[in-house]
Amino acid sequence: MYQWEIKIPKKIHDTKFFGNLKIEVIDKGICSHCGTCATICPVNGIKVEDKPIYFPNWEKECIDCGACIKVCPRWDYKPLNGIGDYLEILAAKSKRFKGQDGAMVTEIMASAFEMDLIDRAIFVGRDENWKPITSIVKDIEQLFEETIRGTKYSFADVMPRIKEVVKDYRVGVIGTPCMMSGVRKLQQESGIFNNIKLAIGLFCTENFYHWQLHEFLLKEKNVEMKDAVKTDIKRGKFIVSLKNGSKVSFPVKEFDPIIPSGCEVCQDFAAIESDVSVGSVGSKAGYSSVIVRRENAKKVLDYIFEKEYAERGEVNIDAIQKLCEFKIKIHPYPPKH
Amino acid sequence: MKVEKVEFDALSRIIGHLNAISVGVKQAIKPERITTEYPRERRKLPDNFRGLILFEKDRCISCFRCAFICPANAIQMELYDNYYPSIDYSKCIFCHFCVDSCPTTALKQTKIHDVAFKDLDEMVVHTDEMINPPELLREDKITVEYKINGKLVLERKREVEDLIVDVIPVKRIEYHSACVNPQNCLGDALCALICPTNAITVVEEEGRRIMKIDTAKCTGCGLCVRECPTKTLGLVRREG
Ligand SMILES: Cc1cc2nc3c(=O)[nH]c(=O)nc-3n(C[C@H](O)[C@H](O)[C@H](O)COP(=O)(O)OP(=O)(O)OC[C@H]3O[C@@H](n4cnc5c(N)ncnc54)[C@H](O)[C@@H]3O)c2cc1C
Repeated sequence: MYQWEIKIPKKIHDTKFFGNLKIEVIDKGICSHCGTCATICPVNGIKVEDKPIYFPNWEKECIDCGACIKVCPRWDYKPLNGIGDYLEILAAKSKRFKGQDGAMVTEIMASAFEMDLIDRAIFVGRDENWKPITSIVKDIEQLFEETIRGTKYSFADVMPRIKEVVKDYRVGVIGTPCMMSGVRKLQQESGIFNNIKLAIGLFCTENFYHWQLHEFLLKEKNVEMKDAVKTDIKRGKFIVSLKNGSKVSFPVKEFDPIIPSGCEVCQDFAAIESDVSVGSVGSKAGYSSVIVRRENAKKVLDYIFEKEYAERGEVNIDAIQKLCEFKIKIHPYPPKH
Repeated sequence: MKVEKVEFDALSRIIGHLNAISVGVKQAIKPERITTEYPRERRKLPDNFRGLILFEKDRCISCFRCAFICPANAIQMELYDNYYPSIDYSKCIFCHFCVDSCPTTALKQTKIHDVAFKDLDEMVVHTDEMINPPELLREDKITVEYKINGKLVLERKREVEDLIVDVIPVKRIEYHSACVNPQNCLGDALCALICPTNAITVVEEEGRRIMKIDTAKCTGCGLCVRECPTKTLGLVRREG
């Protein structure tokens, strides 16, 4: 005879748990689209696509276990902010890889493979229209592919893909701050997610639905995303570098109408809950700023510098701090309107 | 050079004719045919002949080993009352790795090599057909065997050979389901839903869900272990 027990969270509304999540998070517009609920949903009902999170036919198919609300970073939401705890902040540039900035994200993951810390890593590639396509990477070779590196300013289904590998492999995950919070919540709820051995957070102000970004660029800026070779945000400007060598740039402010409401209540710029956070702010062009937060990540960085896979640059912590504060200012919670 | 006409004398002509007639008479009475008259006759095959694969459900422990080892990816496990193999004979290369790797001799080799399928779809022998195979129709009355003693001869015996080679079943190791990682449990109760013998129960009380495994009721089928999304459950050896 075996006996054990599980706590069930409290419902706010007298409907199934997914119904509660829907009313309190999704329909209220504070869902970050991180997809953590879909990662844990035991019946694989919750869908992460290029539209708000949904669960077709949930009234019937949700088994009312409550796992989704237990892991949702926006259930009973208390925004995280600031630069967070860290062991070290540095700027660096990978010598092996090319990336959005210093390709340190790719470098850290590649080195984690080399150190045999992980067996699988979840990366975000893209199609020709810059729609994110997540892929599960098994070895370093795959990281040299061009579409796998660099930033895609659209929601990706990184979290649900964890489910495919976490039962059997040690996993590395890259994601926005909300996803990092999701990873921690998953680890609190079930030991199986301790197989996530490395969580790399990206600095983030806002993310977009792909179709809205695509439509905006086409209608407002006459830019076809399939002509783009890089998208970037630098000094408050969104910059699209095109195949013909020209650049289109405009203030990020113009995106206001298409900012997803879930991002507007987020104050976590520096991915506080990651093992290591990487961003462009705070270092020179071509370098990534790296906030090392936990021992596992520290080991990887020590390895990188020991092997001379990357070179260091100068880091400006104040600049990062400033953006952390800026994000609190532009994203008040509870929202003003 | 010129080819000369061979002349036979009268005597050798008579002998030649008599010889021919005697061979004719001999073959008419006791023919020395070395082809098998299939399907009336069936060639005797060695015991390790790799033919159609039969399945005995009661021996199967749903370990998936056959499906994993199959180099042609011909074996899929299908859910019946547990997961059992199906075989796609359009892919099977008759290597019998599955038979060899089966730890409980649930998969058995046979000497059946003459199966007819109507189309490619029919060549997928699904689990229910593996469990209830079609009846074997046999027209053969005679078993034949090739022998070489100086010359090749075919030996015919009026007997019908058993085409299914039985193997002695191994003693099964008994398992039962156990909660090996309680800290992984989500309380989703999928295990209780799939358990065919209601050995797993979930009771909901204010604010908590109490999960129980009654190992006496558990048959060790392992369905719950497979269903659990978080590796909370595992199979452990039954004591005694
Ligand atoms: C939506 C978003 C907003 C960002 N906003 C800022 C910002 O305001 N300020 C700032 O300093 N930095 C921001 N960044 C981070 C920055 O763009 C770079 O990703 C970071 O500096 C790492 O650069 P790198 O050269 O080290 O990464 P690389 O080595 O190029 O690797 C980047 C990795 O990020 C992953 N990735 C790309 N797009 C996504 C996505 N949509 N979701 C999840 N993972 C993804 C890919 O797997 C890729 O491999 C943002 C990133 C994202 C995804």
